[in-house]
Amino acid sequence: MSDLQSVSALDGMLVSGRHGSPDGDAGVTLTERADLGLATLEVRRWQGAALDESVRTSYGVGLPSAPTCVEGKDVRFIGVAPGQWFAVSEALPNEMLADDLASKLRGKASVADHSSGRAVVRLEGSAVRSVLSKGLAIDLDPRVFVDGAAAVTSIGHMGVLIWRDTEAFDLAVFRSFAGSFCAWIEDASAEFGLDVVTRS
Amino acid sequence: MSQINRLMKRGLVDRDKSISFRFDGQRLEGHPGDTLASALLANGIRLVGRSFKYHRPRGVLTAGSEEPNALVELRTGAHREPNTRATTIELYEGLDAASQNRWPSLKYDLLSVNQLVSPIFGAGFYYKTFMWPASFWEKLYEPTIRRAAGLGYPSKQPDPDTYEKANAFCDVIVIGAGAAGLSAALSAARAGARVILCDEDFVLGGRLLAERGEIDGKPTQEWAAAAAAELESFPDCRILRRTTVFGVYDGGVYAAVERVGDHLRKPAPYTPRQRLWRIVAKQSVVCAGAFERPIVFGDNDRPGVMLASAVRTYVNRFGVTPGRAVVVFADNDAALSTAKDLSDSGVEVRAIVDPRPDASPTAGQAATAIGAEYVSGIVDSVSGAHGIKSVRIKDTQGRMTLFNCDLLAVSGGWNPAINLTTHLGGKPVWDEARSCLVPGALAPGMRVAGAAAGRFSLDACLASGETAGGESARDCGFSPAAPSRSAPAQDDERVTPVWHVQSRGGKAFVDLQNDVTVSDVKLAAREGFRVPDHLKRYTTLGMATDQGKTSNLNGAALLAEVTGRYLGSVGSTTFRPPYTPVAIGALAGHHRGKEFRPKRLPPSHRWAEENGAEFVEVGAWMRALMFPKSGETAQETVDREVANTRNNVGVCDVSTLGKIDVQGPDAGTLLDRVYINGFSKLPVGKARYGLMLREDGFAMDDGTTARLADDHFYMTTTTANAVRVSQHLEFCQQVLWPELDVQTVSQTEQWAQYAVAGPQSRKVIEALLDSGQDISNEAFPYMACGTFTVCGGTPARLFRLSFSGELAYEIGVPARFGDALIRAIMDDGAEHGIGPYGTEALGVMRIEKGHAAGPELNGQTTAHDLGLGRMMSRKKDFIGRFMGEREALNEASRATLIGLKPLDPKMRVSAGAHLVPRHAKADAANDQGYVTSQAYSPELESFIGLAMLSDGPARYGEVVRVCDPLRNYETLAEVCSPHFVDPEGERLRV
Repeated sequence: MSDLQSVSALDGMLVSGRHGSPDGDAGVTLTERADLGLATLEVRRWQGAALDESVRTSYGVGLPSAPTCVEGKDVRFIGVAPGQWFAVSEALPNEMLADDLASKLRGKASVADHSSGRAVVRLEGSAVRSVLSKGLAIDLDPRVFVDGAAAVTSIGHMGVLIWRDTEAFDLAVFRSFAGSFCAWIEDASAEFGLDVVTRS
Repeated sequence: MSQINRLMKRGLVDRDKSISFRFDGQRLEGHPGDTLASALLANGIRLVGRSFKYHRPRGVLTAGSEEPNALVELRTGAHREPNTRATTIELYEGLDAASQNRWPSLKYDLLSVNQLVSPIFGAGFYYKTFMWPASFWEKLYEPTIRRAAGLGYPSKQPDPDTYEKANAFCDVIVIGAGAAGLSAALSAARAGARVILCDEDFVLGGRLLAERGEIDGKPTQEWAAAAAAELESFPDCRILRRTTVFGVYDGGVYAAVERVGDHLRKPAPYTPRQRLWRIVAKQSVVCAGAFERPIVFGDNDRPGVMLASAVRTYVNRFGVTPGRAVVVFADNDAALSTAKDLSDSGVEVRAIVDPRPDASPTAGQAATAIGAEYVSGIVDSVSGAHGIKSVRIKDTQGRMTLFNCDLLAVSGGWNPAINLTTHLGGKPVWDEARSCLVPGALAPGMRVAGAAAGRFSLDACLASGETAGGESARDCGFSPAAPSRSAPAQDDERVTPVWHVQSRGGKAFVDLQNDVTVSDVKLAAREGFRVPDHLKRYTTLGMATDQGKTSNLNGAALLAEVTGRYLGSVGSTTFRPPYTPVAIGALAGHHRGKEFRPKRLPPSHRWAEENGAEFVEVGAWMRALMFPKSGETAQETVDREVANTRNNVGVCDVSTLGKIDVQGPDAGTLLDRVYINGFSKLPVGKARYGLMLREDGFAMDDGTTARLADDHFYMTTTTANAVRVSQHLEFCQQVLWPELDVQTVSQTEQWAQYAVAGPQSRKVIEALLDSGQDISNEAFPYMACGTFTVCGGTPARLFRLSFSGELAYEIGVPARFGDALIRAIMDDGAEHGIGPYGTEALGVMRIEKGHAAGPELNGQTTAHDLGLGRMMSRKKDFIGRFMGEREALNEASRATLIGLKPLDPKMRVSAGAHLVPRHAKADAANDQGYVTSQAYSPELESFIGLAMLSDGPARYGEVVRVCDPLRNYETLAEVCSPHFVDPEGERLRV
C-alpha cells in the first residue's frame, strides 16, 4: 500500500549465512522475525476485569499476571509489568496489531504501537543458552525459565525483552540498537558457529 | 637428558611427550602436565628472577598461586604479560618466558648494588629520604625509583587478545577441588543439586595430587581422578578448571575468571583468552585450602629455599626434585613427609632441623629412618647467592654444624586461605590451638570446609567437605544422603609456631615480593605503626600480586612480638577482591574499542553515511553532525547548511528526541502537573512548548507536546533527557499520583521523525502528502498537529513546529519507513533546493533564535533564569512551583538568559567564558555570569553567544567583558536580546 519501502530493523546489519566457527553444525541459528505486529497495552484505572473480559472475547485468552506468555487467537500476550503487556502477532503484522487492539480495547487499555520500534530475533540451537548466558544475567535453565517464560532485562547494556517459545528464544531490542546487538550476538556465538537466516 | 632433576617414576606428567619452551632465550624441555616452575626445576634452574627493591636473586618458593618470587614476563610482543607466576603457568609448546627486574642479565644484575645501600631503602624510605626539595619528587626521585624498583614491564601495546563475560547459576558453588572440595561437590551433586565446582588449577585434586596417601584404599591421586570423573557424569554439575573465584559479592554473587586459552600458545580459534564469570549461587562451600608459611631467618630468600609442601608437590605431582641434597627446617611434624617423600625418591636428606623448644621424638625417629641427622636448633646462615650451597645450623647448645645442600625445605605451619570469607566484611578469628586465623562470621549461604576452615588433616578435609556439601544441598531443598565419614575428634596436632629465628645471616625477609625485612617491621613498629593495615601501608608488607599470602601472618606475629602484644589481638589486614590478579581485559569483555558501549543509529543513518555525513555521538546516538562537500571547511559547511535552510529548505533527522505516548482520561492533568504551563486545555490538533522543573524548582527538560485526541498526548523531550523524563513520569504515576488514570510509554524507537524547515518546506511536505489533505497556513497553522497519510497511504504524523525559526514541519512515520522517507523528502525537495543539515547547523539556528538547549538547561537554571518565568501558570500547582518560589531564586540579580554580540563581529564569545563589567578587573569578585553557547551567525555575519548574566534583561545595550582565562582570551560584547533572528517570529506564521 505504501510507496515507501519498509526496511526491517536488521536489514544490512548481519550477512546471512555462517558466522564464527565453521566446524560442524552451527550451535545457534538467528532468524529475524520481521514485520511482526508489536504493541503495548496498559490497563486503564479500574478496568482490569473489563480488559481481561474483552481480551478473552476478542483473542480467546486471559491476560497473564506474571512475566509469562499466553498464546491467544493470532496474538501472544507477554506480561511485562503489573497491568502492562507486550503483544506480538504474525497474523496482524506491523501497524495492524496496534490498530486492532486499540479498536477492540477502547477505554479499557491504552495501546501503543511498537511494530517499528523493536528488532525481534529468534535464537535457537544446541548452544543457544550458552550464547545468551554471555549477556543475560538471568537463569535460563529450562526448569527455571520454562516454556513461555519472559523477562524484561538487558544484554550487553541494551534493554531487551526475552521470551521462550518451546526451545527457541525470541528477543526484542530497541530498533536503534540492532547493529550493536548483532555485533554482540556474532561475538558471543563465534565459538559455537552462528547461522543467520534472512528472508530473500 | 637435560631434565637433570626429573624423577623417573613419580608424578602426573606425561613423560612420553616432550614440550619445548624458552626461558631467557634458552631452549628447554618439559612434559605435558608441568608448570613453568616445575619444568625449570626439572632442568636444574633455580635462579628465576630478581627481587623488587634490592634486586636479590630469587628462585621458586611455592607451587601455587601464592608465589611471591618466581614472577616472569610471559609471551612476547603485544602479548607480553608481566608478573605472571611461574608456579601457575601451565607449560605449552613454544612457551617463551623471561626473567624480570634484571639488567643486563639475570646472573649479573647491576642494580643489585641497591642492597649495599639498603639502609636508605628501609620502611617508608621514600617518605623520608626524598622530602626536599619538593620539585625533585616528580622530576627526579619518582622516575628514578620507578626505574630501579618494580617488576616486569607491560607491552604498552593494545591488548591483542579477546575476552568475554558469562553468567552462571547454581544451587551450590564449591570453590576449590581438593579433598574437601571434591567431597563437598560429590555430596551436593549426588543429592541432585545444581553444582558448580571451580578450581584454579588445571587438574582437580588440590593437595591430593601432591601427597602420598590413601583414601578408601586408593592412592589420593587416583581417588581425585575418580571423584572428578564421577562429577563429570552429573548433568547438573559444571566443572570449571583453570578458574579462580576472586571475589564474593552481595546476593550470592561470586566472580571468577576462567583462563580459557592461557595454557595454549594461542587461544583456540573463536574462543577468548579468558572468560569472566558472574556466578549466582544459593549456597557456597569455600574449600580454598591453606598456605604453608615460611619461617623467617637470615638470607631466607636464596634460591633453593622452598616451602616443604611445595617440595612435595614437585616430587609427587611433577616428578621433579628441586634439589639433590636436602635439609628440612620445620616447626611441625607434618613437614616430615617431605623428608620421607624425597628419601623414597632417592634424594638424600641430610638433616631435619627442628626449631621448637622441645625436641620431637617423632621427628627424631623420622630422621633416623631415612639416615638424616635430627638437630634441635635453627638455621643460622645460608651460603650461595644464586642458589644455596650449604646451611649452617646452630643447635640449642650453640654448636654449629655445616651441611652442604642445594635445597632447604621450610615449614612454619599452615594458614587457612580465608580470603574469600572476608570479602563481605567477615572478620577472621584467631585459633590459638592451631596458631592461625580461621574464618569468622560468614556471608549468607557460605560454608567453609577442609584446610580453609583450619581442618588440616586428610580425614577432616574429607569429612567436613562431605558434610558442608550435603548441608548446602539440603538448604536448597534437596535430601542428601547421611554423611559417610565422621570427622576425627581431635584431628590436628597442637601447633608450636616458630615465626622467625635469630640467625646470623643477612637480611631476613618477611615479605619476599616486596623485600620487606624483619628490621623494616621493627622500624615501623618503633615509628608507631602498630596495626597490621598501617604496617602494610608503611612497609608495603602484603601488597602486590601475592597480597601477602605467605607473609601477612609472619608480619603480624613479628609486630606482636616487638610491641609486646598477644598475636591473637593484633588482628590482620583486610582482604579485598581480587584474590589473585585479574586482567583488565577480562573485566571489559566484549565492551572495548567500538563496542565499548552499544550505539544507537537513527533511521536515516544509512542514508546519511551514503551522503558523506560526519557523525557525532550524542549519548548513545550517532547523529549526523554535518554533511560536508568536498573542499569545504567545517565552518563553510555549517554556514551553507544554515543559509540553505533559511533561504530554501533543509531537512534534519530528529528521531533521537525522546517521544513519550501519554494516554488516558487524566493525561492532561498529569501534564499540567509536570509542566510549568497548562496542557489540559490544549485543543486536539495543537502542540505546545512546555518546560518541566525538578522538585527543587530548577529546570529539568523542555520540549513540545501535541494533543492527538482528548485522551492522547504525544510528548517530546530532549535527546539527552529522554530516559530521565520517562523515569520521572513513571515516578509521578506510581508514587505521587497513582490515582490518576494515565498511561505512558516511550515511543522514541517507533517513529522516524524529520524536521523539514525553511521557506519552501510546505511545498516539500505537500508533495509527500497523499491527495486531498490540506496543510495551507489556514488549515494547518503554526503549532498545529495531525494525522495524515503520505507516499501512498503511509501513516504519518505532522507537527508544525520550528526549532530553527523558519516555517517548518516535523513529519513522523513508522521507523521501518524512515530510510525511504528521507530519500523521498530529498527527491521531492530537490526542485526547491533542499539540503540536509546536521546537529551543528541545528545548534546555530537555535542559538540565533535564543532557544535554550543543553548548555542552558544545565541543572542550575530556573524558568526565570531562562526567560520563561511568565510561562509559569498561577492557576495550577506543578512540580517545582513551591521550591521555585524561594526568594533567592527570584532575585533580579540572578544570572538570566541574554544574547551577546561581540563589538568586533570576527571575535568569538567562547562558551564557558565569564562576564565582568567592562571596566572592572577580571577576577572572581566581579564575575557576573558566563557564556553558555556560541555560534557564527551567517545571517548576522557575526559571532554571537547566549549567556547567563546577572540582571541580564535590564542591561541590553551595555558592553561587558568576555573573559576566558582558560584559553587566555578576552573580548568585548554588547548585551542584547537572545532572539537574534526574526524576534517577532513572523517567519513561523506564513
